[in-house]
Amino acid sequence: MIDPVFRNSLRECIFLLLLWLACCLYTVTYCYLAGYLVHEPHPNATGPSIGKLVGPLTAFDRQPQSLATPLGLGVPDWVFYGVITPWLVAVVVTVLFCLYFFVEDDLSPPSVERNESGTIHD
Amino acid sequence: MTETSPATIITFIAYIACVFVLAALSHRLLATKSFLGEYFLGSRGLGSWALAFTFAATAASGGSFTGFPSLIYSYGWVLAFWIASYMVAGVCSMGVLGKRLNQVARKTGAITIPDVLRDRYDSTALGLFATATIIFFTVCNLIAQFKAGALIIEETFNLPADWGYSAGLIIFAVTVIFYTAYGGFRAVVWTDVLQGVVMVVGITLLLPVILRQGGGMESINRKLRERPPTLVTSVAGAYNDLVIQAKGKLDTAGLLYRHPQRADAPLQIRWDAGAGAEHRFIEVYLATDGAGRTTSTGNDVKRAIEQHPSLGPRFRVRFPYDNNEIVTDRFGQRTERGATGVIGLDSDRSTERFVFLRGDEVLFGPGRSNRGAPFHPLGMAISFFFMWAITGMGQPGTMLRLMAFKDSRTLKRAILTVTGFYSMVYLPLVFIFVSARVLIPELNAENSDKAMVLVTTRVVGDMGLAYQVLGAFLVAAPFAAVMSTVDSFLLMISSGLVRDIYQRTINPQVSERTVKRASYATTVIVGIVVTLLATRPPDFLQRIIVFTGSGFAATFLCPVMLGLFWKGMKRQGALSAMVGGFVVMVGFFLPTLFGGSRIDLLGLHPNLWGLLVSFGLGLLVSKGTGPAPAHLVDRYFYKSSSPQPGRSTEDRRESRVEGSA
Repeated sequence: MIDPVFRNSLRECIFLLLLWLACCLYTVTYCYLAGYLVHEPHPNATGPSIGKLVGPLTAFDRQPQSLATPLGLGVPDWVFYGVITPWLVAVVVTVLFCLYFFVEDDLSPPSVERNESGTIHD
Repeated sequence: MTETSPATIITFIAYIACVFVLAALSHRLLATKSFLGEYFLGSRGLGSWALAFTFAATAASGGSFTGFPSLIYSYGWVLAFWIASYMVAGVCSMGVLGKRLNQVARKTGAITIPDVLRDRYDSTALGLFATATIIFFTVCNLIAQFKAGALIIEETFNLPADWGYSAGLIIFAVTVIFYTAYGGFRAVVWTDVLQGVVMVVGITLLLPVILRQGGGMESINRKLRERPPTLVTSVAGAYNDLVIQAKGKLDTAGLLYRHPQRADAPLQIRWDAGAGAEHRFIEVYLATDGAGRTTSTGNDVKRAIEQHPSLGPRFRVRFPYDNNEIVTDRFGQRTERGATGVIGLDSDRSTERFVFLRGDEVLFGPGRSNRGAPFHPLGMAISFFFMWAITGMGQPGTMLRLMAFKDSRTLKRAILTVTGFYSMVYLPLVFIFVSARVLIPELNAENSDKAMVLVTTRVVGDMGLAYQVLGAFLVAAPFAAVMSTVDSFLLMISSGLVRDIYQRTINPQVSERTVKRASYATTVIVGIVVTLLATRPPDFLQRIIVFTGSGFAATFLCPVMLGLFWKGMKRQGALSAMVGGFVVMVGFFLPTLFGGSRIDLLGLHPNLWGLLVSFGLGLLVSKGTGPAPAHLVDRYFYKSSSPQPGRSTEDRRESRVEGSA
């Protein structure tokens, strides 16, 4: 019989890696497109780079005058939507993960016994 | 240099005293438990608060409170993007491996990461390679951390430059070696909790104070945009970075920067009004610090000339741009207005390029380094999202903590606590040090490491006793962060030597008394050796910390992660993954030892390549070398595969130790 701790841990591992991937894709894409003054590769840069492969994307260059601060919090718009908002969402997802997805498996091997206070004695 | 208030000194001493008390309490507890399991792993009894704070405090090294604030101060809001993967770092670094690693460690009785690898793959060679790698990376890291600890004491207590570093190093070393060796893992955990509380309380109290002083974030952003551009480099300027305009008709002059040399004043101005026109220069002598770096800025030079008794009335000094619009081109290249160019140092004819950062450039990405290159280009943005969340999983120091918690519920609560901790520390730090750029505008890249100390002493230090205590807390925070990393690493080396090499390889029948003496002695000796190495530390401190963190992940994450979750992972695959990751990391960082640059293939950090090679080799070699041994698959992936009835592996080892004592 498959170890239930292994099965549950693998399920949780996949969930968390997908969460990381979603945050990475959203934050990197949004912040790079909405928060950079310059999208061209540096002229002195030699050799291939991810920036060159993606392309110049100069159409997304921000103009300093376009800066907004949503909700009057004083945080630049691209930081607010690209970092703080997903950060809050990630915290909420973490709480939901812990409450509803995470399984409280018994981790002790069969031989290990517990005393009355719940601490483990090997 | 900044004044140290009595409140700071008292709070600091009280903090050190608390650390010693915790070590003494832990030592008493040590006498009542099985030595090895308690000294190196706290008897696997960590509760959720202890787990959360020791995990977070160990992950937050001195860089979190010195290097990170310095970067925020220098480059502004782009650091929120740089640190963004901390939004999932807590849940990923604890939740992905935590439960399964804890279970496997209990099953085998492992108390170190090499123990886990040796048992999971049934390979002594793998265990020994893991121990050797841990010792290599950990010693490198400890030298850097000891240096950071010594510098914090030197700066905080305003110690003289000639012996301040040595004194700081001795104070730091004695403190941390004593409580770690005497109290073991539990002392480390308890002090981590104390240190974690210091960090989060300090930051939480500081944020509203700073925002109020700066007039709110809206006002701070506006001031940032309106501020004149600031130099990114350390040298103050050149012939053309300040414009000298005569207020009268006859005087003309140029600025001549003399080669930096030691002087009592930050900079000295000399002027010979009687010299011929061709020699009529204002000579600026720039003082340097102990490391030979100039600490004056263009603003300092401007101010010094304006306040000079004979120059002030004659000359108007200004930066060569108008209305903060054009300083350099978009890449930091020289423009006609001359704000970026070449500095001529006349004594040795050396030149240095310098770059100004416009006010609005700290409000957006990518920022610019002192060579004009983007600070956080796309490749680094992707790499740093790996760095904190994924690389964080692969640190033996944090993995060890995941082997020490009591039960699954403890892990769950700790994940929530660590998530809250990271949110309460890292985002507020960005707000605080973006604001510090307005409140303390005169720091440059070379001395911005002092931003935390200056914020606490200058901004809150003159606001009354309560704020002085807050300031002391904040000065203690980086010290706490360094200590919490150092103590964990000291124990990791000593457990590697005593447990993995001596007990499990050389002398399995060793008595508990010998193990105990060896553990105390090893911790002290390792501490002393690192202290001696840190008396002549290398300059590239932050690079060493990044190198070791990335190296740990590239070496350990794949064999541990695939070993826990993939039945087909074999010892050949694990060894290939470890060696491959290690070689890539060392190879990509090697040029930095010879004054060159790190190899960032495709603009991506070596950390990413190390992980890629490690996982690639782990998967391919395991696939290519046949099926995994059935007894290992049964043991670690199926429920029926329990150890001998009634006895775990650790029970057997402990009884062997006791029996021979």
